[in-house]
Amino acid sequence: MAAVIETKGLSKVYGDVTALDSVSLSVEKGTLFGLLGPNGSGKTTMIKVLTGQIRPTGGFATVLGLDAEKEGIRVREKVGIIPEQESPPSFLTAMEYLEFVGAVRKIPDIGERAEKWFELLEFGDKKDVLCKDLSRGTRQKLMFAQAFIHEPVLALIDEPLINLDPVMQDVVKEFLSDYVRKGNTIFVSTHILEVAEEICSRFAILHKGKLLHAGSVADVTAGGGHLPGFFLSLVRKGGHA
Amino acid sequence: MHSTMFGSISFALFPVMIFGIVFMGSFLLPLLSVAFPAGDLAFLAHASFLLLGFMVGGFGLLGNEMMNRRFGQASLLVYSSRSLPLSERFIFTNFVVKDIVYYFFLWVLPFGGGYIAASPFLGVPLSRALLLLLTLSLSFLLGLCVVFLLSSLYVRSKAACLLIVIFLGIAGGVYTIWSGTNPTLLFPPYLLYSAFSWMTFLGTSIAVVTMFLASVVLFSPEGTGLSRTYRRRLGRLARVLSFLPESPIVAKDFLDLSRSGIGIGQALFSFVLPLVVIWFFLSLLRSSFPPNGLVVIFSLTAGIIASTIYTWVTEFDSFGPYSCLPVAVSTLIAGKMTTFLFLQVLPAVFIGTVAGISAGPEMIAPAIVLCLSISIYAAAVMAFLCGLSPSVLVYDVRVLLTYLVLDGVALVLFAAVSFASSLYAFLSVFLLFPAYLLFRAAGARWDARDPAGI
Repeated sequence: MAAVIETKGLSKVYGDVTALDSVSLSVEKGTLFGLLGPNGSGKTTMIKVLTGQIRPTGGFATVLGLDAEKEGIRVREKVGIIPEQESPPSFLTAMEYLEFVGAVRKIPDIGERAEKWFELLEFGDKKDVLCKDLSRGTRQKLMFAQAFIHEPVLALIDEPLINLDPVMQDVVKEFLSDYVRKGNTIFVSTHILEVAEEICSRFAILHKGKLLHAGSVADVTAGGGHLPGFFLSLVRKGGHA
Repeated sequence: MHSTMFGSISFALFPVMIFGIVFMGSFLLPLLSVAFPAGDLAFLAHASFLLLGFMVGGFGLLGNEMMNRRFGQASLLVYSSRSLPLSERFIFTNFVVKDIVYYFFLWVLPFGGGYIAASPFLGVPLSRALLLLLTLSLSFLLGLCVVFLLSSLYVRSKAACLLIVIFLGIAGGVYTIWSGTNPTLLFPPYLLYSAFSWMTFLGTSIAVVTMFLASVVLFSPEGTGLSRTYRRRLGRLARVLSFLPESPIVAKDFLDLSRSGIGIGQALFSFVLPLVVIWFFLSLLRSSFPPNGLVVIFSLTAGIIASTIYTWVTEFDSFGPYSCLPVAVSTLIAGKMTTFLFLQVLPAVFIGTVAGISAGPEMIAPAIVLCLSISIYAAAVMAFLCGLSPSVLVYDVRVLLTYLVLDGVALVLFAAVSFASSLYAFLSVFLLFPAYLLFRAAGARWDARDPAGI
């Protein structure tokens, strides 16, 4: 299968802090790929570099065949992104924000698409409320909608289930699995290992900016093992290395 | 916290630079006093610090949203009222006090300190130099507290605020007509500097403290959990502006300004009010300028203040909310600059009215051209040097020095030619050429860096 994400020796240094340390990784098309790691392991930096939001200090990354550093805007045209912390603009309503995204991405039928998302994620009653007045969970739903509203072949999502209630988490997990079954790829960064084990087919573990392991979830769980146990043993070993 | 936000040697050097400029500039005072009486210079210095106070004082307009933008990643401070036994008013008051102390150490103390350090060499008694520091501090605080009070009142009740402003305007007008004197001559800090009296000092101090406390009491913390609905306007506005390449961004800016209430508030407290007061101050110095020189100076001042409209439109959002979209920093800068250009109608109308009333219809066009050319040029310089964070990066000493030099050259040049003949003010349109080049360079420069705020 073709790789939709490819990194070679990817590094990012902020002053004295090495956020990514020569990471080489490949993500194939049609995969729900989990990027796992403790807080501060470099997961968010990885997504920012892959989507051309920040520049690597070493190595390179290609996303959908595009150079993430030099063609960041084209990468962001093609992919969907849910950033970890960002909120939608304060003084637009939820509907206006999706209209704004539609105008920037040049989506002609944005109104109809937006309605579908309000229905799927059950927040149609909030569509005319300013984003600053939305709860964190509703903001997360809105960010989810903006990431998928143009039906990208690849989505890079950072902690997608955070702030969502258990019912909505279930809706989102089902959506993600279904989306991948249609041949799309999802690159999800999370530290909720149970979720990763449940929905991801492949995964990689980052720790202190270094890639500790990349492989298949099935390989870990085959002999009755579990991803959380595998992760903890690896990170603890890596932490003492 | 400021060291976290701006922590760099360049930022720390800012007050040192102000100190140095004033120290060295003080040695030019004997030369300047030939053309400009020393009393006028002191008067201008007080007016400048009053203006600084005006520009800083709009705290009442700050809600959590704006505080978040200021604090960025440190926004937990804004929300600490929800997790710690601290009220939002307490956090807000701390923020305001911190800002006042910060501006005092950044601007007022280095300015006064520079003059104090130079005073022994100039034969100025140390007590006079210390008095200047005191009265400049009071000028700054008075300006700050007046705008703080009005902006807090504005958020509570726009009608009450408007009534007070109208009342003060009428009172000033009646006094001027009745007494035949300019009311700014009664400006307490300048009175104190001219002839110190404990009564005036106490009265001024009490006024400052009272206005500050009243502003804190009036401060209206942003409501939380409200779910007011709004009519959809973005799509229609973007369609009206569809002839612009960045129409969604410009439409969003207008909605930000309108729905936050910041647009009218900023126009009132950061533009109209300071300029009206500065006009009264400058008009006292009319005899020191050539014919129509007052309008020229006022147009240049209005141009510089109008350029800060660029900071209003960049205050709302960092690059963060756009980072998940195919939007480059240069596109955002272009969008913000387009909104800025639309808003230039405000200074154009204002300066045109002032020029028409004070110098006759023949000065309207030169004054507007001069003001807008300077404004657009200074905003382009700001965009080039600071990108989307002008209100933060301008305190980097290298940035500020470059800004002062680039703007200073244009100001001196066009003040000189416009003094010679008001028709030469039209030459300032040539500033639009470097402004365009700087704007283009700003896009390339900030696209090549990791954006701030993500």
